[in-house]
Amino acid sequence: MKHSILIVMSILFFGFSSAAQNVVKGTVKDEVNNPIPSVSILEKNTKNGTTTDFDGNFSITVAENAIIIFNYLGYKVKEVKYTGQKEISVALEPDVAQLDEIVVIGYGSVKRDKITSSISTVKGSELAKQVASNPAEALQGKAAGVQVLSAGGNPGASPQILIRGITSANGSTPLIVLDGVMLPSGTSLNFLNPADIENFQILKDASASAIYGSRAANGVVLITSKRGKEGKTKISVDITTGIQRLDKIEMADANEYMQVINQRRTNDGNPSLYDPSTIATDTDWWDETIEDFAPITNANVSVSGGSDKVKYSSSLSFFDQQSNYTKGWYQRVTGRFNFDFKLSDKLTISQDLSPRIERYENTPGLLYNLLRIDPLTEVYLPQSQRTGNIFSIYAPSNNLVPNPVGIVARQFNETMFFGMFTNTKLNYKITPDLTFTSQFGLNITSSRTDAFSPTYFTNPNQQREINTVFRNSSQRFDYVINNTINFTKTISDNHYMNFLGGILYDAQNSNYLNASRDGVPSDEDPLLRYIDAAVGERIVANSNESQRNIFSGIFRGIYSYDNKYTINGSVRADSSSIFPEENKTGVFSSISFSWDIDSEDWFKSETINNLRLKVGTGEVGNDNIPVTARFFQIGDGNFGFNGDRTVTNFLSAFGNTRLKWETVRDQNIGLDVAFWNNEFTVSVEAYKKTSEDLLFAVELPNYTGVPGRVWQNVGSFESQGIDLQLGYNKTVGNFDIGLNLTLSTNESKAVAFAPGNEQLLGQKREDLGNRFIKVTELGQTVGLFQGFQTLGIFQNQTEINSHSSEDGSIIQPNAQPGDVIFQDTNNDGSLTDEDMTTIGNPFADFYGGFNANIQYKKWYLSMQWYGTFGNDVFNYPSTFLNSGIQDVNIAKGTIDRVWTPQNTGAQYPRLTQQDRNGNYLRPSDLFIEDASYLRLRNIQVGYDFTLPGFQKCRVFLSGQNLLTLTNYPGFDPEVSGGGGVIDGFGVDYARNPVAKTFLLGLNLSL
Amino acid sequence: MKKYFKIVLIFTLLVNFGCNTDNFLDEQPRGRQQLDDFFSSEENSINFVNSIYQKINGESWWQVTMPRQINDMATDDNWSGNTLQPRPDITGIAAYNVFPGSTYFNSFWESHYIGITRANIALERIPEVAMDDALKARLLAEAKFLRAFFYFELVRSFGGVPIVTTYTELLEPAINDKVRASVEEVYVLIKDDLVKSIEDLPSKSSQASADLGRVTKGAAQSLLAKVYLTTEEWKLAKNLAFEVMNSGEYSLETDFANIYQTGHYNGSESIFEINYFTNLTFSEVGNGLPITNGSRGDQGWGWGSPTSDLENAFLSEGDNIRLQSTIIKHGEPVFGDPATTSFDGAPDENKSGRTNRKFYIPVDERPVPYQRGTIALPYIHIRLADVILMHAEAAYFDGDEAAALNSLKSIRDRVQLTTDMALSGEALRDAIWKERRLELALEHHRLFDLRRQKINGVPRIALLMGPNGSFVKYNTEISTDPFETTNLQESQDKGIFFDINTHLVWPIPPEEIQLSRGNITQNPGY
Repeated sequence: MKHSILIVMSILFFGFSSAAQNVVKGTVKDEVNNPIPSVSILEKNTKNGTTTDFDGNFSITVAENAIIIFNYLGYKVKEVKYTGQKEISVALEPDVAQLDEIVVIGYGSVKRDKITSSISTVKGSELAKQVASNPAEALQGKAAGVQVLSAGGNPGASPQILIRGITSANGSTPLIVLDGVMLPSGTSLNFLNPADIENFQILKDASASAIYGSRAANGVVLITSKRGKEGKTKISVDITTGIQRLDKIEMADANEYMQVINQRRTNDGNPSLYDPSTIATDTDWWDETIEDFAPITNANVSVSGGSDKVKYSSSLSFFDQQSNYTKGWYQRVTGRFNFDFKLSDKLTISQDLSPRIERYENTPGLLYNLLRIDPLTEVYLPQSQRTGNIFSIYAPSNNLVPNPVGIVARQFNETMFFGMFTNTKLNYKITPDLTFTSQFGLNITSSRTDAFSPTYFTNPNQQREINTVFRNSSQRFDYVINNTINFTKTISDNHYMNFLGGILYDAQNSNYLNASRDGVPSDEDPLLRYIDAAVGERIVANSNESQRNIFSGIFRGIYSYDNKYTINGSVRADSSSIFPEENKTGVFSSISFSWDIDSEDWFKSETINNLRLKVGTGEVGNDNIPVTARFFQIGDGNFGFNGDRTVTNFLSAFGNTRLKWETVRDQNIGLDVAFWNNEFTVSVEAYKKTSEDLLFAVELPNYTGVPGRVWQNVGSFESQGIDLQLGYNKTVGNFDIGLNLTLSTNESKAVAFAPGNEQLLGQKREDLGNRFIKVTELGQTVGLFQGFQTLGIFQNQTEINSHSSEDGSIIQPNAQPGDVIFQDTNNDGSLTDEDMTTIGNPFADFYGGFNANIQYKKWYLSMQWYGTFGNDVFNYPSTFLNSGIQDVNIAKGTIDRVWTPQNTGAQYPRLTQQDRNGNYLRPSDLFIEDASYLRLRNIQVGYDFTLPGFQKCRVFLSGQNLLTLTNYPGFDPEVSGGGGVIDGFGVDYARNPVAKTFLLGLNLSL
Repeated sequence: MKKYFKIVLIFTLLVNFGCNTDNFLDEQPRGRQQLDDFFSSEENSINFVNSIYQKINGESWWQVTMPRQINDMATDDNWSGNTLQPRPDITGIAAYNVFPGSTYFNSFWESHYIGITRANIALERIPEVAMDDALKARLLAEAKFLRAFFYFELVRSFGGVPIVTTYTELLEPAINDKVRASVEEVYVLIKDDLVKSIEDLPSKSSQASADLGRVTKGAAQSLLAKVYLTTEEWKLAKNLAFEVMNSGEYSLETDFANIYQTGHYNGSESIFEINYFTNLTFSEVGNGLPITNGSRGDQGWGWGSPTSDLENAFLSEGDNIRLQSTIIKHGEPVFGDPATTSFDGAPDENKSGRTNRKFYIPVDERPVPYQRGTIALPYIHIRLADVILMHAEAAYFDGDEAAALNSLKSIRDRVQLTTDMALSGEALRDAIWKERRLELALEHHRLFDLRRQKINGVPRIALLMGPNGSFVKYNTEISTDPFETTNLQESQDKGIFFDINTHLVWPIPPEEIQLSRGNITQNPGY
């Protein structure tokens, strides 16, 4: 709603200058020529105003060239320039956008005032302000309760969308529905050109999403693409180009590295390894591996228009993003061709085609390597030591971390991806009230990846004796068929009803073929990097296919009385091929209610112009598990008897024949309030979601000998939260101001467990003793960090001796001064795994976004802030960044941050190679950090100008991620937040951080 | 208008009734056989039992064989070795600064239980298969043998462990509530399985050539003898070992150097071995130990570097034949590899500049690529010399010194060492123990021997390790070895942290404690 106001207010204002006073008279009427009383009339940028009388008449004295503003609730604001007229008669148009905005609700659409559930809308025009490879990025902070977490700075990386936190244990991606067609789960929004999007509707509660039943457990994002409108052909061109830069992570130089490595040994009573007075090499691996700038470009051409019989909207876009490594890039060309044919008054057919081509090279994930490799290693071997090909010139490191420059040089992979999405829709009006719709959506993708690993030799332990060429080919073929009947009627003006029934088919097929062969005759000739050229003995081929199908029936009824009370009920039955015979079908229903309080006769308010209450409850299902989840599968391998190969067969996957639908049941209550003719809007919603029969892949105790994880219905999670959205739109002088603030809370608790699943474990870390650092227990918040509690650092032997149990046994007998004090939680006098306890909570107290749009004459400024507050992150890189464990490099300044007898106030424990106290060998709150942050996601300054022949021209400068306010000592507090709630959520494992991006853009419309 | 209506009607009918929903919803996974249909033929039954064999050495999972190397590193035979990469999960354990969360313990535990479950499935499903009864009995006996082998490895490494003996119990929620069985209970199961498997396993000589490498009656008897030796049931151990020695199925290799050779499968002395082979098409069908155990100067990872203490033990016996087939030294030619005249033992990176000759591959015999999982060197779990020395030890403790001496002599005769037939009492016992060290050095037997063998009730490992351990004293006070005393990146006092109250078993993997919700408890001290 706020956006439509913005558009209204974005009408360009003119400055004024005037001295003379002039009297103007006139009448204000509505669209059917009835006079409107009490219309507010204001001379722009003054306090001079009046209102119309009962007959719609007014009289006002204004300055020369004044702008007169006519404003009346429910009608579009109208401005008229005074140019000496004696009389001005104005006809106000109802503000359809405000009151009657059409909202897509799944297999249909209704006017906004019939919405009974929690739906957020984000307009495509909002997305245009940001250059993003993925439209989802631009959603962040725009709608309350919607989080968009960056997957890191790799080109083409697909961010994670979370709607009201994470309810499901197995993935949390919402269902994406494009123009009515459900896309396969996990579909990246990469395939969509942001410029093609008319709007997003985000269905946040189950009463809104229940109509999508089977796949709506994590919410639904409905995307409507732009369609042609009757009228003159419109052409627009957008070009944006810029650069991305990563903030450098400062690591120790050679001198500090030597000191730290030596101290790790001398503290254990062992001799030093290095002599810091003889530094031959001091390599800065960041500078050697990371490029200063990486370019990013986006270009788009759109054409739309049409007649009353045929309408079209088409676009072609090109996107190119380079990574900050010398390898890694992403290119995409997308086309979209939407056609609407009106064959008769009763029959319309629309046909959408959206082909796309993507090419990319994976961005190396080398942050770990380049942080850990020692600075004493040269990048290249000296000329005299080089043997072999051009891939053999990279020096092996002293601390055995592979040389990242060498890894980049030896990485060859490229993917070519082709996708075609078609959507055919037939709409037949059987009677004026009864419409039949048949829709056929088809998603075909085909991709191939070629990769090559060349031979190289750097030393006997770091070499590849034979090269390998690899090819993957994979396809998808997914289709949906929706047949629905819709009946809409309004009886005696105040009984509105809408009924929908339908039958749906959804089928998804994917398949792949991988093949590789050793022994390409040349390492350097790219023309020979094909399996046909290889001559080696090792040939590997794998291929398989998977198919999943859902058959559904849906029914929905909406009844609204007098536009005040609306009730919406829906039932959906889904049968999924995923589940065993007796559990295939799940039935999901919802009911919701809304009350337009401001439409009541008794409601009289000058300040409040809109007041709506929404209450709803509903169920949705989840079958998002592998097609093989219920099957006990046989794998195969090889073994030798007497030197000959024999086939082996074994149980490779442990199935579960009792699997059933996961059901998410939620309750939502919401209140929308608008003040002062929508100048200030408030929307607040509270919800509770309960996921029952939660599907999760459980790791059984290893003594069961069960391979891999087993899918089970493990219990129930309950999450609660509040979403608050505040909007403020006002014109002050020449300034048009639009502000939008969203704040949300969300936390999930485990409320029930099935027998045998009394706890859920996630995120096993090898370096920390193969312990799971995330534990979900009954009654507790989901995915809490578990580990040892620390009580500071032992300053002397007396403290070590006095850290004892009641019977006097020393709890940490192997400790030395400078080691970490761990809490003996169970007071048994010894430090064991039983002492592990909760050490952190990855859930934020609240998160939210703040957007500001300010327009001044032809200039505009927009800003988007996003932040989370009060969430803990398990900073996994700090297990080595401050310890140098296994002699890896450390963060700059470590030598001053670690405990020594002289530096007793140090933040980090002493350096030790043996680490007999296990300072860095067990999970503890030493690695838990507050990762609250506030980030300026985007700031943009634009200027509108005119060119002959063009309708609109705009040039802008923008910057993304320029400023991040945080105390988090890791690399990127945002990137660290991703992953499943039980497993990865809140664990930082040094993914490539988000880049700062600087962009210059130009938009032209014909 | 009617025309359009018909189009719509036809389209709808096609779409809604063109699909048969029953078929539409009955999707089976592709490209894989299902367990319930699998046990339908002889061939499938054999293939399934083959997969149990795969778990003996961890399949493609090299981390599973690493604990056997770590076991040797935690004795007086081996250093941790690789000084370039001191890791808490290897180096720390070798030094008895034990990191309970070591991936290697974890993998060893997990992989052995996967093997047990494969055996349990075979034991439960194969009886229902229509097939030749003799073959069926043999396959079941193989599964029983292998299950016993896995439990024996586990109980020696970790102490009492949870026991799972059926497949069906895995399907019940109660499977999550298992606790550790006692050591005695585990041994009851092991002995029972082995005794039963002996009945149905064939002798080596009766095996078809394609079956060589499958377990035999002799293998089961030998393994059971070792179990009895461990549980100090001397007479049973002695008798079983004697039965194997006198079965006519096995004889010592005349040349000690022949025992470990690439492509030399199921030799006359071999009783139970993994027939690793080279086939680049299939990953990890070959041996990886030549790489993980090899010198860092020779494409190896350097884990496990023989001690000067072990070398001295050979020298004190004048035992050059076995020394040259056991230890390679930096700068010296490699016995049996004419291509290597000066071995690169990389003493800067390998603690002692020494490498295990038993797992060394002469340069001309190396496959390309020479990497883990490609090498055709058999891994011998039990060979006749081991059984003869078991017999000697069991006979000694059973009071039959004459039999013990005869067995000892037969081992020494092969390597042209004389035997003092007057040895008796503790001197004889020590001679047998020393012979066992020299004969089986670096073959991953030493740690379990040192934990098992006791002097005045004290396990020998406790006399070697700890602050006053003889091995620790030797290295810190006596040794002048030029390599060991110069490369101090692995500390000379390896073993000083040994604690007899803790270190006679390895820690239970913390992951298992978490996964079992604390039902599986940790060993004391960890």
